Amino acid sequence: MDNRRQEWLDAIAAAGDEAELRRIDHGLLGKQGVVQELVRGVSSLPAAERPAAGKAANQLKLELQAALDARRAHLQAESLTRELAAPDFDPTEPGPALTQGTLHPITAVQNELVELFTSLGFTWQDGPEIESEHYNFEALNIPADHPARDVQDTFWLQDGTLLRTHTSPVQVRTMRRFRPPLRVIVPGRCFRQETVDASHEHTFFQMEGLVVDRAVSTANLIHTMKTCLRVILRREDLEVRLRPGFFPFVEPGFELDVRCLLCGGAGCKVCKQSGWIEILPCGMVHPNVLRAGGIDPEEYTGFAFGMGLQRVTMLRYGIPDIRYFMGGDLRFLRQFVEV
Amino acid sequence: MKISIRWLQRYVDLSDQRPEQIRDALTMSTAEVEAIHPFAVGLDELVVGHVLTCGRHPDADKLSLTTVDVGQGEPLQIVCGAPNVAQGQRVVVIQVGQELPDGTKIKKTKIRGAVSMGMICSERELGLSEDHDGILVLDKDYTPGITLGRVRPLADHVLEIDNKSINHRPDLWGHYGFARELAAILGRELQPLGAPVAFPNDGARLDLRIEDADACPRYLGVCLSGVKATRSPDWMRYLLHAVGQRSINLLVDLTNFVMLELGQPMHAFDRRRLAGDVVVRRARAGEGMVTLDEQKRELEPSDLLITSGGAPVALAGIMGGLGSMVEPDTNELFLESATFHAATIRRTSTRLGLRTDSSARFEKTLDPAGAELAVHRFVGLLGELCPGAAPAGPLLDPAAWRFTAPEVRLRRSRLDLKLGHVIDDTTVRGILERLEFGVRTTDEGFAVTVPSFRASKDIAIEDDLIEEVGRMFRYDNIPEAPLVGAVLPPHREPELILARDLCRMLALELHAHEVYNYSFVPDRLLEAVGVAALPHSVVANPVAPEVCRMRRHVLPSVLQALGTALRSAPAVCLFEHGKGYHPEVRDADGLPHEVREVALAAAGGPGFDYPALRSGVAGVLRRSGFAVAFDELLGRSDELPWIHPGKTVAITLGATLCGYVGELHPQVAHQLELPRGVALANLDLRQLLRAGASACRFADLPRFPAQPVDVALLVPQGTRVKQCAELLRHAGGKLVRGVELFEVYRGEGLPAGTKSLNFTVTLGADDRTLTGKDEEKFLAKVRERASEVGAELRG
Repeated sequence: MDNRRQEWLDAIAAAGDEAELRRIDHGLLGKQGVVQELVRGVSSLPAAERPAAGKAANQLKLELQAALDARRAHLQAESLTRELAAPDFDPTEPGPALTQGTLHPITAVQNELVELFTSLGFTWQDGPEIESEHYNFEALNIPADHPARDVQDTFWLQDGTLLRTHTSPVQVRTMRRFRPPLRVIVPGRCFRQETVDASHEHTFFQMEGLVVDRAVSTANLIHTMKTCLRVILRREDLEVRLRPGFFPFVEPGFELDVRCLLCGGAGCKVCKQSGWIEILPCGMVHPNVLRAGGIDPEEYTGFAFGMGLQRVTMLRYGIPDIRYFMGGDLRFLRQFVEV
Repeated sequence: MKISIRWLQRYVDLSDQRPEQIRDALTMSTAEVEAIHPFAVGLDELVVGHVLTCGRHPDADKLSLTTVDVGQGEPLQIVCGAPNVAQGQRVVVIQVGQELPDGTKIKKTKIRGAVSMGMICSERELGLSEDHDGILVLDKDYTPGITLGRVRPLADHVLEIDNKSINHRPDLWGHYGFARELAAILGRELQPLGAPVAFPNDGARLDLRIEDADACPRYLGVCLSGVKATRSPDWMRYLLHAVGQRSINLLVDLTNFVMLELGQPMHAFDRRRLAGDVVVRRARAGEGMVTLDEQKRELEPSDLLITSGGAPVALAGIMGGLGSMVEPDTNELFLESATFHAATIRRTSTRLGLRTDSSARFEKTLDPAGAELAVHRFVGLLGELCPGAAPAGPLLDPAAWRFTAPEVRLRRSRLDLKLGHVIDDTTVRGILERLEFGVRTTDEGFAVTVPSFRASKDIAIEDDLIEEVGRMFRYDNIPEAPLVGAVLPPHREPELILARDLCRMLALELHAHEVYNYSFVPDRLLEAVGVAALPHSVVANPVAPEVCRMRRHVLPSVLQALGTALRSAPAVCLFEHGKGYHPEVRDADGLPHEVREVALAAAGGPGFDYPALRSGVAGVLRRSGFAVAFDELLGRSDELPWIHPGKTVAITLGATLCGYVGELHPQVAHQLELPRGVALANLDLRQLLRAGASACRFADLPRFPAQPVDVALLVPQGTRVKQCAELLRHAGGKLVRGVELFEVYRGEGLPAGTKSLNFTVTLGADDRTLTGKDEEKFLAKVRERASEVGAELRG
């Protein structure tokens, strides 16, 4: 019995893994196991021997159980240690390639602007891209033969309509559709007959803004524009300046410049050595435009702005050439993973 | 336009202002200065030399060998090629180590064996003019060695003004206007122009007649005698050169000088070439003339002419005629100074493609008072610069134009309200008065009289005056203030919001890339996709003749972009959100119908094929609440010839057709050099919204487990999944919780002409757990009814 006891204890100690240990456990302490047999055999012994034999058998059983538990704990600890050691884990090994879609960078910038302005209570509107001369020019205080029409370089359609040269026609359209107070933005596609080069496109994207209410002022315009540019260009410390600009549909009219983001104002190629980048024509809505929209300029005032979305997108992402925006060059498109 | 700071200094003291300060002052209050160009900068350091000796170069006929005293050290030996170099002259010397304005560095050289220690300069070499006929000879009393800056300071900076920022300011098309602005900004005095000239009451005259007073509100003319077309004085030539105006002769230069000073174009005719009375009239049909640039111009009745003796002698306000221009021997002038109707000049100039300095100014609506001012200025300067020249007769001014200064009210309340900042009365008054407005205080604010040079176009209403105050105060000095108002949710445009959401989801869920394409489509593309014959909106002045049509649909542009994209990736899905234009349908304003579409195209195999696009699009639409179905696409082949007729389905919502998804027509694929199996889809957002979105609905969770049953139906090819699914639904009755196709098997082990549609049918009941019996009953029913769709239950 002692010999066999030692044999069993050795076998337990030698068990290499949990499966082997389970087999040994089963062979000893299982229902049909050797030790269980021994325990059962006690009852067939003479009565006088029973207590001692019973005690011995029980003790053996407890001893083996303890050895099994100890060995199991040891094997589990070993295996955990092995698992944690992770010998061939390579922190530099990448995961499988992920295919991701993209939004066009102008869309991404536009979405952010729309979100900002709708949070300020602006309604997001659109208008026709093929426009009438009336909404594109006359209603905006640009009569026929006005020199400002030169600057516009209009694409005319054969039927006498035109491709809108700015998003501003939607100003009067919106005034006619809703009554003041008005807070409107109109991002959209515009067209001007220009030769395409690194900084000019005949198809461009603009975001019009219009606010009409009682007592809207230049001070409100400055605040709204500064807020917008700080958000979209992600610069809390953005420096801007407001200077005179001439557009027939505003009076007074302004150009809003931002301190050049590339040179910080020292002067570089992008800012044409001036230290400032012209980013946003704006102004107080001309009384004639309010009238064209059926609004009494004595009762209401307003401001309007027209942001060049390509310009803002180029500044935000550091894109040097406006021609990248159009067409299917994936090498460009897939760089902009922000949605 | 170019503005010379040296020129401005004739009228306002800017000596303490750096060019950058002047640029910033103008930019912030008046007009955008785009650049500062240095002119003759560095010349002030050069020294005056005295030509001590001047002899022939021993080995070159055309060169002279000179010694020049430059004030210090030994006289320099300099080889000079100019024909006019001579002993005793004072000249400008550039010495070894110094640089010419064009960047040429002067070195000690040997010219034909003779050492030259510098250069005696011509005006062109100094960048002062285009004159290269000889060296610049200075006054004899200059001490050798003195710097040019001490005796003849020439350095200048030229401001490049953005023309579009002064389109509305006729008064800013000359230096005097900018000087007035700077005087107002800096609070300085503006020098008056010379005194008016006294014209004789009698003498030589050409009678004037204005036939069309609307087109010509004012026309002044005077005959001048004793004139000589000599060389203009240096100061004038240099100023003209600095702003890019070539010097011709005194008479021509004077008209240009006055134009660049006051913004008023004039025309000097050779009096001898004018046949008689001068008449301003419209051209007659069939009339023509040859302009100064020797071009024959066909005229139209809308063109305005200056005629003499019945024949055109100038295209009014644009360009003079060839026959009557100033010649070297001209000794008598007829000087014109007029005001023409802006739009008339503009129309003619645009039609003829003839933009001149003159027409550009008349287009701005000039002040008729300026026409008179300019004549006096011209004649005054001519008298100073051309001894003997004088008016030969009266100054004729038949229009008898009189200016009454308009009064515009400026209410304190409007000023405060529009600027959002209160500027005190003294400041407001000071600003307006420095700009030469008349200011009278009233109960409500101010009554402001407008000077003539601001009244022709620019200042008409109160808001114009608010601008004057604001810009001079500087908008930057207005503290910002947030908008205030009622807090209301903004009106939402479902179409725009849907477009934005779909684009975002296509990028996120389908891993698609958004592209932007032009709305103009090349004829080649329209032909390739087969819609060239459909009505298109056509651009009359396109970027290129073959790219003049506006797209009806977005998809062809996406297909074109797909070709580009496939060069950088083997598999890709592109989409574009944009509009198609349908000119055959018009809205109330007569504008073509615009359809907002989201178009997709994909290529590159599994995941980028029709099945993937179909599920992807359906999934994305479900997220926006559109539980779309797919049906046969009927009768769109004319409008959509690029779709594969046998492999395209309609996307429907109820009875509304909202788009399609399918494969590209193989013939179009061939034309566009795209691979076979390109998948495409199009969504019409307005149709989707018309059909309506529905919100997600909660369905109670099953209390008893569901039981999935796999069913494989062997069917003849051509059998539709939909039929089989319906069969399965019927067979299962109310126990059916879902029918889903998980595989279509074609090929090995199946009889020819058949396929196996493998479904998982989920069965369940609300009141009990199903047993094997339920499944058996269901399968038995399927087996029994399979033949209804020509199917056979497998296994």
